[in-house]
Amino acid sequence: MTTGIQRSSSSTRRSPRKKKKNQIPFAIGLLIVIILIGIWLATKENHQALYWMLGLAFGFILQRSRFCFTASMRDPYLTRSTSVTKAVLIAFAITTIGFAAIKYGYFIQELAIPGQSYIAPISIATAVGAFMFGIGMVIAGGCASGTLMRIGEGFWMQVLALFFFVVGSLWGAHDYGWWMRNFMLAGKRVFLPDYLGWFGGVLCNLLIIAVIYVIAHKYGNKKSESELQ
Amino acid sequence: MSKEVVLDCFGEACPVPLVKAEKALEKLEINDILIVQIDHSCAMKNVPEWARKQGHNVEIEEIDDGEWEVIIEKVK
Repeated sequence: MTTGIQRSSSSTRRSPRKKKKNQIPFAIGLLIVIILIGIWLATKENHQALYWMLGLAFGFILQRSRFCFTASMRDPYLTRSTSVTKAVLIAFAITTIGFAAIKYGYFIQELAIPGQSYIAPISIATAVGAFMFGIGMVIAGGCASGTLMRIGEGFWMQVLALFFFVVGSLWGAHDYGWWMRNFMLAGKRVFLPDYLGWFGGVLCNLLIIAVIYVIAHKYGNKKSESELQ
Repeated sequence: MSKEVVLDCFGEACPVPLVKAEKALEKLEINDILIVQIDHSCAMKNVPEWARKQGHNVEIEEIDDGEWEVIIEKVK
């Protein structure tokens, strides 16, 4: 990490090195509280303790990896950096296989496939929603998970983003029926395994992701090469 | 004598620090140093990544819990 940049003493003086607080006692205390809440939730039904652990693990990985869905869409425009874009695509590929495995497991046991109600019809509402969400998340400096994660980090400006995220969600829920009646019902629900078979559906998804990955990779490398010359 | 510019981006959410750093660096001469102060963890990733990709020398220093200085030396 050290490139040996020599800073003049003036700027070093401008940012005095504060003594950092020791966070270890706080971390041990927090861990005990997390475990106690986990034990308490384990006494409840409906896998509450499992959700608690999964949520904490998700947040931890999101924070430590600096994973950001907003950056994955924004940075290619801003700096041509596609490293986060590629990370998100890999995550999509893994979840494609994971979700297909879960759904297929239910399918071969002839049980009702879970999560089928989330397959929304393809319509103009998807494009309008995606466009609005894209503008919103770039201005707010984070998507839903990113905003929550940065509030946890102590970035107070995004409490404001969270507040209006809640307001917007409520507004969206209020008008959802209108979008449903006027646009979404005109669209078609597409569940790929119905059309291409289970293997074909997964393969189709993975191929699309692979193509976008290759494009992202080439796009990300292009400028740095030409600039290094 | 090379110049040193401190860019205060505390409280600015990503991507504002990156855009500000881009503009500030444009105005500097070769061998000048730009110090970007940030406290948004996302900018911790994209500011150094952008600067390194441009070929500049980059150092990161955590000056306090959750506050960083990205030190960029303009090399070209």
